[in-house]
Amino acid sequence: MFQPRKAATIAAAACLALTTTIGPALAETSLTVAVKRDRYSVDETKFTFTTRRPAAQIVETGVKPDENFLPSPLLFESWDYSDKTYTVTLREGVTFSDGTAINADTAIAAMKLYDQGKSDFLQIDQDSLRKLGEYQISFASEKGSALVIENMTHRATSLFGPSDNRAENPIGTVPYVLESYEPKQQITVVRNENYWGEAPNVDRLTFRFIGDDNARLLALQNGEIDVIGEVTPQMMLSMPKDGSVVLHESRPIRYVALLANLNGTAPFDIVQDYQVRQALAWAIDRETIASVLFDGRGVPAKGILPGWMFNLGDDHTDGFGYDPAKAGAMLDEAGWTMGSDGIREKDGRKLSLRLVAAYPNVSTVKPLPEMLEQMFAAIGVDIDLIEVDDSGVYGSTYLDTGEADLYMEFASNNNTDPTYLLYNLFTSTTAWGGYKFTAPGPHVDQMLSQARSAQTREEVIELVRQAHRAIVQDDLAAIPILMVPNFTLSRPGLQVPMSEYADWIDFGRVTFEN
Amino acid sequence: MLRFILIRLATAIPTLLGMSFVAFAIVALAPGDPVMMELRAMGIVPEPEDIAALKAQFGLDKAFLPRYLEWLSRAIRFEFGTSVATGRSVLSEIAIHLPATLALAGSALVGAVIISLALGTLAVTSNNVAGAGLRGFTILLVSIPSFWMALLLIHAFVLQLGWARLVGDGSAWDLVLPALTLSLGAGAALGRVVFERVRAEKSEDYVRLAIAKGLKPLPIMLGHIAPRIIGPLVTAWANTFGGLLGGAVIVESIFGWPGLGQLILQAISQRDFPVIQAYLVFMGLIFFVTSLLADIVVVLADPQLRRRLNGD
Repeated sequence: MFQPRKAATIAAAACLALTTTIGPALAETSLTVAVKRDRYSVDETKFTFTTRRPAAQIVETGVKPDENFLPSPLLFESWDYSDKTYTVTLREGVTFSDGTAINADTAIAAMKLYDQGKSDFLQIDQDSLRKLGEYQISFASEKGSALVIENMTHRATSLFGPSDNRAENPIGTVPYVLESYEPKQQITVVRNENYWGEAPNVDRLTFRFIGDDNARLLALQNGEIDVIGEVTPQMMLSMPKDGSVVLHESRPIRYVALLANLNGTAPFDIVQDYQVRQALAWAIDRETIASVLFDGRGVPAKGILPGWMFNLGDDHTDGFGYDPAKAGAMLDEAGWTMGSDGIREKDGRKLSLRLVAAYPNVSTVKPLPEMLEQMFAAIGVDIDLIEVDDSGVYGSTYLDTGEADLYMEFASNNNTDPTYLLYNLFTSTTAWGGYKFTAPGPHVDQMLSQARSAQTREEVIELVRQAHRAIVQDDLAAIPILMVPNFTLSRPGLQVPMSEYADWIDFGRVTFEN
Repeated sequence: MLRFILIRLATAIPTLLGMSFVAFAIVALAPGDPVMMELRAMGIVPEPEDIAALKAQFGLDKAFLPRYLEWLSRAIRFEFGTSVATGRSVLSEIAIHLPATLALAGSALVGAVIISLALGTLAVTSNNVAGAGLRGFTILLVSIPSFWMALLLIHAFVLQLGWARLVGDGSAWDLVLPALTLSLGAGAALGRVVFERVRAEKSEDYVRLAIAKGLKPLPIMLGHIAPRIIGPLVTAWANTFGGLLGGAVIVESIFGWPGLGQLILQAISQRDFPVIQAYLVFMGLIFFVTSLLADIVVVLADPQLRRRLNGD
């Protein structure tokens, strides 16, 4: 006799057993990454602004940086530069997430989008874009630059497919497609099943925007997020050491340095004396600073570009040791004699320097400003320390006006263009206003200008090497202090594939140990 | 009453114009160039003509006064332009985030009113020692900064008890902790107002008469004292609501609440001029509307004022 209740019970039990058996095999892997700020923009004419992390999961570039920040194939399989013309062979068999093939036509259309933006990032001569074959294109640089392919490793140069509404439906070739976007809250992307390359480990990636540093750390400890993408020194100091939070780090990439005002007017003209700059460089105890800041993970710096980057090498700069006696002797030689109040004087003028700690904000380098103040006081230099937590105020009030002697900056050459940082910070022709004060002079202008127009990579790198040495050693426009890795924090059991280039930390390839 | 409202609206025009000028001037004269900040953040090597084109696009290439007049003519029509950072219209940005902030400030105000009435009446009705203790407690609550209160509550309710999430998804349950953070301090401050008003009223002749007539404390409180103090309390609530909107900035940031606070913090750091200007104008408008509503309630609650306005 048929017993419906018993049959239903058995069926339910069977379903439950089936679910529990196959459940783990089908379990979706998801990862929530906390980032500080929502950088997503929906403006069609500024679409390059839309491609920063985390939106970078949706679109990808023609080339990506390799471990030495050299371009390596991605959507571009190979490329050649000769006679001021780039010839690019596209990877075959790649489709955008909507199924449109990437070929010469779609690649040219994607590259022409850059002309819509007012920030003509790649400086490609749009009229020069030519289709040479189904998967081959050519183009020229507006400026005759040999660095266009290098610049295409920047996430902002990602190639978009055709879309009626790029803001709500961005079409790319990457492992993920946009699932949802809630402004200032979160972006969720899900696996693109038609991805041309190796499938990522994570099925669903959610980026939560949490502005407060403490809140990001507490959310990680509370299990509400899996990874913190932007880590400050304070977070590293307050991070629990019981293994509940795991630190991941790249090689050192970011520099902490004092940029010297070499072109200021009185009273901000003291560090124009090379001996004073040298004395300051020898007065810094980098080992102690390295042990205090960033949980002891920074290293004393010999420059502002790491030696591994672009194969620059470590031997083209000498660096400075810690020798307060030598620093004092240099100041004596420069005519700065010790006053009765412990501050040096020359011709009735005190050796008092204004040091502005601001970029990107002072909280990222605390307590370094105070440590430097003490170290400089020990050799008779009075420091008027100004700490600004806003890069806008820093720029307009102190940098653009040249109203400081020393500018502490914590930044990096976050660009595969080897000339990028040095050109912008140390040439008199910089478009970044105030950095004309930190430009050593025509010789460095010339080196970097030549580097930007050089036609072979070897030539570019050699000129960058010479300019770097001039800036951090011979002219001492920048007094190097520390080199610091990129950091992420995660819960235990995750391996985050770190990159020195923060935009290239591939959260989709996070591996789960358990 | 209509005449009263019309007069109040008319007198608001110069105030709002002044407010719009201050809002525009604060932002326009503040240090920081949004174009250069964005370009540096993006890692772009710009040519001077690129910078000039971007400045022209944002209208930053014009003198201050023409910029203000142009902006004002659009602002009157609620056209605040496009966000430099996100590319959305500023009105869309406000529309996305305003409801969350109003929900937070509104629920915090409700919480603050409840806390204030409880603390104030308890302090009045308690004996000297308990009353002094309660007043000391309110001083303590008022003195704790909201960010510190937030961290204390997170430690207790999120990390220790596990009753709440730190970064929710904007659901009503996620509102409890940030609203509580705001309402504790505001409630304590309002509690002192309640205490002072009730204590003052209790010494009035009409209360003595009610006591002499044998009325119980609760009917005296609800039937006699409450109608007399509701006007000043509503004014205090309106001011508190404005304060809560401002105070929400930090609390929203800590709890990841998707309100105007998050919007404005990011806009300030990126020098997103159109958003900051619109935010200041909207905050001013909300202040104006709440104080107008409070004035109307005061008039409605006070028979003498009502009669005077009606010309009796």
